[in-house]
Parts: sequence; C-alpha cells; structure tokens
Amino acid sequence: MRPVAIARTAALSAFGAGARGLGRALVECAALPGLPAETPLANPRARKMMSPAAYLAARCLVDLLGDAGWTDGRERIGYYLGVGASAGSLDDFMALLEESLVDGAYSLERFGQRGLAACNPLLAFQLMNNFTLCHGAILEGLGGPNSAVFSRGAGTIAAFGEAVYAVASGECERAVTGGADAPRHPATVEELARDGFLARGLVPEDGAGLIALEVAIGGEIVVEGCGVASGRGRPFADAMNDAVATARFGEQVQLVVIAPWGPPAADALHSWTAARCPGARVVSTAPLGESLAASAALAVIAAADLLERSQRALVLTLGVDGDPGAVVLARGVA
Amino acid sequence: MTKRRVFVRGVGAYTPLGGTWPTTVAELVTGATAIRPITRFDASGFPCRVAAAIETPFPDEDRRLPYTRFAAREAWEMARLTVEPARLGVFLGAESGRCHWTTALGLARAGRGPNNTFDHERFAREAPAFADRIDASVISPSAVAAALALEYGAHGPVETVSLACASGSAAIVEAARAIRLGQCDVALCGGVGADVDPLMLAGFGLLSILSARGISCPFDAHRDGFIIGEGAAMLVLSAERGGAQVELAGIGRSLDAHHLTAPDPEGDGAARAMVAALHDAGDPVIGYVQAHGTSTPLNDRIEVGAIKRALGAGVTAAHVSSSKGALGHWIAGAGALGALYAWQAVNAGTVLPTAGLEHPDPTCDVAHVMGRALAKDVDAAIANAFAFGGANSCLVLRRAT
Repeated sequence: MRPVAIARTAALSAFGAGARGLGRALVECAALPGLPAETPLANPRARKMMSPAAYLAARCLVDLLGDAGWTDGRERIGYYLGVGASAGSLDDFMALLEESLVDGAYSLERFGQRGLAACNPLLAFQLMNNFTLCHGAILEGLGGPNSAVFSRGAGTIAAFGEAVYAVASGECERAVTGGADAPRHPATVEELARDGFLARGLVPEDGAGLIALEVAIGGEIVVEGCGVASGRGRPFADAMNDAVATARFGEQVQLVVIAPWGPPAADALHSWTAARCPGARVVSTAPLGESLAASAALAVIAAADLLERSQRALVLTLGVDGDPGAVVLARGVA
Repeated sequence: MTKRRVFVRGVGAYTPLGGTWPTTVAELVTGATAIRPITRFDASGFPCRVAAAIETPFPDEDRRLPYTRFAAREAWEMARLTVEPARLGVFLGAESGRCHWTTALGLARAGRGPNNTFDHERFAREAPAFADRIDASVISPSAVAAALALEYGAHGPVETVSLACASGSAAIVEAARAIRLGQCDVALCGGVGADVDPLMLAGFGLLSILSARGISCPFDAHRDGFIIGEGAAMLVLSAERGGAQVELAGIGRSLDAHHLTAPDPEGDGAARAMVAALHDAGDPVIGYVQAHGTSTPLNDRIEVGAIKRALGAGVTAAHVSSSKGALGHWIAGAGALGALYAWQAVNAGTVLPTAGLEHPDPTCDVAHVMGRALAKDVDAAIANAFAFGGANSCLVLRRAT
C-alpha cells in the first residue's frame, strides 16, 4: 500500500470561503478573508437543478481542482463524499400541494394527475442524496471510483477512508473526498428540533469541505489512518477506542481537532482527549456550528492547516448519529 | 501485498415473490413476474399504475427495516458463524425512508404563505405538529443500518451508502474493502428499496422514465421504461471461507461524468467499472452477466455495448439477464439483488431469466436467458449496477477454490 498525502483543501463554512487559515480562524474565532463569494460554475444553468448541499460541493470542487492544478486525467480521479439528505425547494412542494387539494382535502388522484405537472420537473435532481456528489462530478468531469456515504458525522470519515484506500491501493492516483450538507434547510431544522438536538445546543450551519489526496512523495501531510465504529448501545469511550484503534492511533499526538455536534458531544470528546492525549493542543470546530456531513471534513481541513512539521494530529468526530470517527495525520514524521 | 479474500457465507432476500431467497428462486426459475396493479394506494391518477410491491401488513410505515430485517436474518442463519462485536461491520445501500405522503404534503402546507410562496415564520410555527410524525431514527437513510448494528451487536464500521440505483452494490463493495483492509472480519451487507409509494411514483414520473405500458421487459424491442419494485437482499461476507462455495473476487466503480439521468452514450463509465472489477478478480472467464437492465430504451442498448467492450471476445461465453423484468427496479436495493442473481449462478448453476423479454432488441445482441432459468456451470459472474447521476458499481463473484 502506498502512503497517501493531502495535496490541497477547500472549504465553505460559517467562517467564509477558504481552507487555508481555517484552523487559525477557529482558534481565534475569526472570519476568513475568503475567496470570491461566487465562484462561477462551468455550467451556471446547472445551479437550478442543485440542492443547496450539491451547490456547496460543486463550488468547493471548482476551488479545489483549480488550486490543485488537476486539469488533466480527471476521468481517473476518485470522488468520495459524505452526503446528507438533500432537500428540495419547498416552493416546488407548495406547487405540488396546491394542485393536490380538492375542497381543501388531499386527493391522491389529483396528486397523480395534476401535482406532477405543477411541479418543477427538476425537483427530482434536488432530492436524491447522491446528487450532492454527481452534480459536481459531471460539471468537473471526475470519472474515477466513487461513493456517496450518507453521513451525520462518521459517514464522512468512512468516505475519507474509502478515498485513502483507493489511492493507497492504486485504484486511482488521485482522489477528492470530504462532505457537504445544508442543515439550515427548514425541514432539517425541524428534524433536529424534534430529536432534541437544538435544545441541547446544536447550531446548524451549511458547509462543505473537500480534500485532495494523492500519493505521498515526502514532506507533505500524510494520512496515517482513519476509522469509524458503531456507537449505538454502548459507552462512548469504548466506541471511540475502537475507532482510533482502526485508525492506528499510537498515543503520540501534539494536536487534537475535535468535531462535536454540540456541547454534550464536546464534553465527551474533551474527556476522552484529556485521558488519552494529555498535553496535546486541543482545537474544536464548535465555532463553525454543526454542518452534519461536512463537519468531519472541516475538522480534517482545520487539522491540516494547524499541523506543524514533525507533528502528528488526531481528528475526532462525534456527529448526531452517535458514531465516532478518527483520522490520524502526520507532517514530516519519520 | 496479498489482499484478504472475501467469501460469501450467506444470502437472504425478502421479495414480492417470496419471503426467502429459495422461495423467490423457485418462482424466478419459471419466469414468473411480481409486477401487478398497485393496490396499496389509489394510483389511478398516476402515469404508471403497476409495481412489484410486497403485500405487507405495515403499508403506512417505513418498510425498509422490516424488509431488511427478514433478509438479514436469512443470510445470517445461513452463514452460521460467530464473530467478535468489534470485528463485525454493517454496510447497507439505502435512500431516505418515507413518511406518509399526507405528512409530507402537510409539512409543505405548513409553510404556505401569500401567493403560494414559502413562509419561514409560519413553517416554524406549524411544522412541529407534522415533524412529530417524522422520526429521523426511522426514516433517515442510516436508520436501517443502525438498527441492524444494534440487533447483531456490531461494533465495527456501520455505513450507509446512498448512491441511488448503485447503492446496494456499492455497499457490498465497501464491505469487501473493509474486510480486505482488516477493518472487520465479517460484514452484513446489501441493499433495500421500499419505493412503491406516491412520492416516488411522482418523482420518477417527473423524469418520464417509468413504463407507460406498465411492462418491464429489459432488452426487449418494445421496452419503454422501468417499473418500481421493492425488497431487500443481504449477504454475509467473511474473511474465513467456512463452507462457502463462492467468493467476492472483484469490485469496480466509476463515474460517467456525463449527464444526470442519461448514461454515457458510449457506455464508457459502465465499461470502466466492469473492467476494473474484472481486473481486480484476475480477469476470469465470465459465464453470466447480471445486467443492470432497467428496461429503458437507452440503458439497455448502451449497457450491452459496454458489456461487449468489457468482456471482449469473452462475451461469447456469457449469458445475460436482468432481475428487473420479474422484480422491478429496487433502486437502492437493486445492486444487492443483482449480487444474489450472480451468486445463484455460480453457487447452484442456475442462471435466472429475464422475465418479460420476448422479442430481443437487435441492438441488444447478447445471449439472453429467456422464458425459464438456464442450467449452466458458471465459474464467474459479474453483476452491474448503474445509478442516476452516472455512478457505476460492479461485482465479480467467482467459485471459491
């Protein structure tokens, strides 16, 4: 297996556009100077067919590929993304609803006969979860191995692991990975409220984070391992221990970046870190809010930004699904 | 570095033709089809009024979990193995579950403002009454895998792949990769589709890709679209062979990077995924191709071209069929069902037919399996799954030696 390095990163977050400086901005709680607000898409008309998350991913992808200079061989570049449940325009649902009423009551017959016709025929392209990945891939011509892993946190680390493996095993030479999500969609906000996350301090924020991976040559930030574990029905610490074991975590880290969904998760991650990584500098992505499928990717990007030479970093995630994830990064470590 | 081998220790299915895989196969070998008029709800206003639906006692609930639970139990009992919790993973292809259609429309109504625009304040005020009917732990795409992980005590990786029609196949790919990497020793994996409902009929109706004639007949000259089906197909994969006769030898994926709904006209992405899977398996002679075969005019013709390109001269040794003639298109579950068709061919020498295929399209000129099942000694088979958006996933199953 070949060593895999982080070549470039790109991010859109509550702090603004841009990945360089994201870690430092987190430490200082400062907004990034940012890239231009609207990076043009190759096909601007495609915007109408995109969910908010798909648009964030596509914009980020344009920035990433441009910054990495990956202009050729795109049909062989892998693309692995953590994705949320894409949400369509509620105006479209409204039109569908309006045509489905007979004397103020729902009618399935009318729903089939007229609701369809009243709806934007592009609605379906906003609803499918995998289109968060596919819109960008089509616009930018990425044609390699791929996956869209549903993510409320750990799924993005799973997608990251897939991408690392694809490059390490030679399935592809280069891969893009990360996550994008739009939890500020009204329906998602209601879902998070219903499940009690808002009351417990979750602050939903839209976001996207993408990471370009390639075979390591030397001197770059190398991915030493990543892992996820099921957190259901057992103590958090046990689950996190399994995740970091899969990530080949070896205790010697100088930096820990945690991505908690909210205060209770932050407490759990801080406690685990204090016990297992005493003395390490700890940075939290909490100031970015919770971006569901994007949060873990933003944490990896922040760690890459803060990691200094001869240091090793551990990224720990705990999303609303309760499954922990872990990534180990190293810069210039023998 | 030699990669760990991945063996198929168990399979299970819950389908419109039977509660288990063997009972389903008993019907499939005769050329039976599960496609019937929809009775679960009033479909009279919809452009397509038939489906391969499961008669279910829980029509208004999210059906993904019960379907998957049945299929997983069958596969697990067949596998007859024990594994440490931390060494067991769960990988499932699934899309979002469904709330009742009146709840979805009620949510939309909650935000209806002046001139039919969306009113955020009104939505925030009125939506909670509807949101109470939507339990994310039930309808989230990841809810099924999470429930299985709890039931089987899996502490290893738990993953939900949402890659539309390639989800089930891609989930099996992820499971195989996890075993190869040593992240787990045993994986419960597969896919589920439970999309026979008004919202999905509406969604696919918007795309005009359902059969107006109400017939699923992959590769037929008269095909005009697909029919929605539903069910679950599960496999137990293991690094230990045990009594397994079949191994998952090759995996391959690609993106078309071409169009949101139409396949690459040259079938380039599909062919690349097949070639990758074949190469990963050591380029075996393929005796059977479980095609994606949706019964849409574009897919079937282009897929046959891709099959020919990927197999080259070896295409003469291969028979081709599609599950969608008999069982409809399971969407997120389709790729996993395809894997079971391939397993059946390699394990039992039973090549299941393409139901509904009577007049093969001359542009789809491969060796079809029509009418009844074909008895054939198959050393290796490939199962294709191609998704809207252009994601392709292929599996090569081979006789274990």
